[in-house]
Amino acid sequence: MERVKTGIKGLDEILHGGLLPQTANLVEGAPGTGKSTLGMQFIYNGIVKYNEPGLIITFEEFPQQYYRDAMAFGWDFRKLEAEGKLRVIMTSPEVTKVDLETVGGLIETMANEMGARRVLVDSLSHFERLTDDPIELRSIQYSLINALKREGLTSILTKETTALLGEMPSDESVAFVADSYILLRYVEIESMIQKALLVLKLRGSNHDKDIRRFLIGPEGIEIQAKFEGREGIMSGSPHRTMAESFVEAFVKG
Amino acid sequence: MNGDDFTAKLMNDMDPKLLDFVKTKVNSFIKWDLIRFFYENPNTTDSAENVARYAGRNVVAVEPELKELVTSNVMEERQIDDLTVYSLASDEGMRKLIDEFILACEDRHFRVKAVYHIIRGMR
Repeated sequence: MERVKTGIKGLDEILHGGLLPQTANLVEGAPGTGKSTLGMQFIYNGIVKYNEPGLIITFEEFPQQYYRDAMAFGWDFRKLEAEGKLRVIMTSPEVTKVDLETVGGLIETMANEMGARRVLVDSLSHFERLTDDPIELRSIQYSLINALKREGLTSILTKETTALLGEMPSDESVAFVADSYILLRYVEIESMIQKALLVLKLRGSNHDKDIRRFLIGPEGIEIQAKFEGREGIMSGSPHRTMAESFVEAFVKG
Repeated sequence: MNGDDFTAKLMNDMDPKLLDFVKTKVNSFIKWDLIRFFYENPNTTDSAENVARYAGRNVVAVEPELKELVTSNVMEERQIDDLTVYSLASDEGMRKLIDEFILACEDRHFRVKAVYHIIRGMR
């Protein structure tokens, strides 16, 4: 099966090769967990490793912030823009909604001119301000996702959650609409905050179900080993498994 | 040469195409802010209300300035359904001129001269 590789160390293995082409992939997490970094890395790797031009559509966050953040990882977005391989578009949800429904709209034109194959929408949460009606919101999200697929784009859509640790509010209708659902979480272990990644869903393919530790290093996101000997990782405050507690108390002691 | 003539001569001492750009296209502090904003965020496409919000200004003040920038070919205006959106001109020559203007603004002497021309233009 054809895959769209993220190029992120460890993530493609969890996804059994990568994302599926022309799908909408939701990445959800609290502020600072690395949603935008994951999305930028997906776009950057697409351009430099797989020759797939990309778009970044941002709401509220100024493109210059992306240029700066990307440069911290050595990703020269300005250069890629000058080479016509990337566009960081700042706009608003209301303009995007109308634009994607318009034949010959700005995003369609730009995607066609560049031959874009990937897109990061950062973040989907901003569409919530268009309506208070959950049914209408779901319809808007459907329209956006369908429009991106129509353009032949494989998308990463970020979504913010407010809770820093523990269970998140479960009004996640967009999770049903998206083709894959990746959760990023903070986890407290022995008075240290670590980060965890879990692929909850990958429509049309199997995937690893492990909860993995990950780091944001000098070259971006690096997925590491799963959390061994711990339970309740996604609660934000995991505890040792019974076996691990036994070993800690009687064997190591 | 009287004092005013001397000042004018001193303030006109810049690249002629930048002098023309300042006098005929920038010509207000709001436009200067908008040009800088779009230079830093070159693929921004949005309504006057949102551009005003990003620039920290009132839409009543910003919209006419955006329209003048469209008239002077610095910006482009598009109609998407019933929304009017603005983006930086895609013309290569204009983009190069904007780059040169912003780079020139890093020099304090150039900024002083540009401010002089804008204030004179506003009288």
